[in-house]
Amino acid sequence: MSIYILPVLFVALFLYGFFKKINTYDTFVKGAKGAIELTISIFPYIACIMIAVALLRVSGVTEFLAKLLTPVFKFLGIPPELCELVLLRPFTGSGSYALLNDVFTQFGPDSYISRCACVIMGCSETIFYVATVYFSQTKVKKLLYAIPCALLASIFGAIVGCLLCRVM
Amino acid sequence: MLVSLVVLLFTGPAGAMDEMIAASASALELCIELCAVYAVWLGLLEIVEATGLSKKLAHLLRPIIKKLFRVDNEEVEKMIALNMSANMLGLGNAATPMGIKAMQALDKGSEKATFPMIMLIVVNATSIQLLPSTVIGLRSNAGSTDAADIILPTLLATIVTTICGIFFVLLCDFVSKKFKKGRKSK
Repeated sequence: MSIYILPVLFVALFLYGFFKKINTYDTFVKGAKGAIELTISIFPYIACIMIAVALLRVSGVTEFLAKLLTPVFKFLGIPPELCELVLLRPFTGSGSYALLNDVFTQFGPDSYISRCACVIMGCSETIFYVATVYFSQTKVKKLLYAIPCALLASIFGAIVGCLLCRVM
Repeated sequence: MLVSLVVLLFTGPAGAMDEMIAASASALELCIELCAVYAVWLGLLEIVEATGLSKKLAHLLRPIIKKLFRVDNEEVEKMIALNMSANMLGLGNAATPMGIKAMQALDKGSEKATFPMIMLIVVNATSIQLLPSTVIGLRSNAGSTDAADIILPTLLATIVTTICGIFFVLLCDFVSKKFKKGRKSK
């Protein structure tokens, strides 16, 4: 069902464009042109954040932090096996999906831990990545309370999500 | 980054350079993929703009956007409306170019992030996802018997995160305003 939603929306959009007598081809090209410029300008930011994440993982800093935080996670009701996932999720999308796959193979995709991992993935976003990319095109240097608010909210979501997994 | 580099000096200095270059290469790969995605979405976005649909959407969502983001600028409202709609459809990569455009329109050259900017980041970072399609795909690949049974808990949890996020931002804004007022009166 959901695979039809987007194509149908596109067809509707183009038909609406014809109806409004817009040159859809030219308009599309004009918009698409901006993509290269945008990608080039955000590349250095993405590269920097991905290098930082790679170093964090290889050096074992995340593992160490995960061990350190195990009691905290236990207290919050989040399975401690998911520490690394929760820690890396705000930084990297592809990296956390790889971790999610590891969890599946290690504990089985239908286990409680895997279901918690799914919910944590679904209800959080790559916060640092979003913030870097969005602010990369502005002059803003100080993000004030943006990051702490987002992080705190996603931890709340993880706690509630793990609770829900227990009953649902 | 610095901490992990220092740790690497002790554990395995040979791997550091390789790792950094490999990460940069995968960043480049990601960017090429993103460029393709952005081209499709920016092209469609231009059509949406030209047909005036974005204006209509912005008009529809205006009461929420005005209250939540405290902005009064048609261009910004339009971009935020499109950004939020894309997010709700689970199209994170489509939401990004619109979010960047909204940020640029909000940018006034100041070094500090303003309230609408922070709200936009937090709403994006805690976005409500109606269908976590990637997670479900991975899970059924791993051999799950009922891969879609996480939809409901995910949806509920994501609503919690978004509400919490908005609440925290409002709280911080309130506190920082109080703080400023207190300093001024002294």
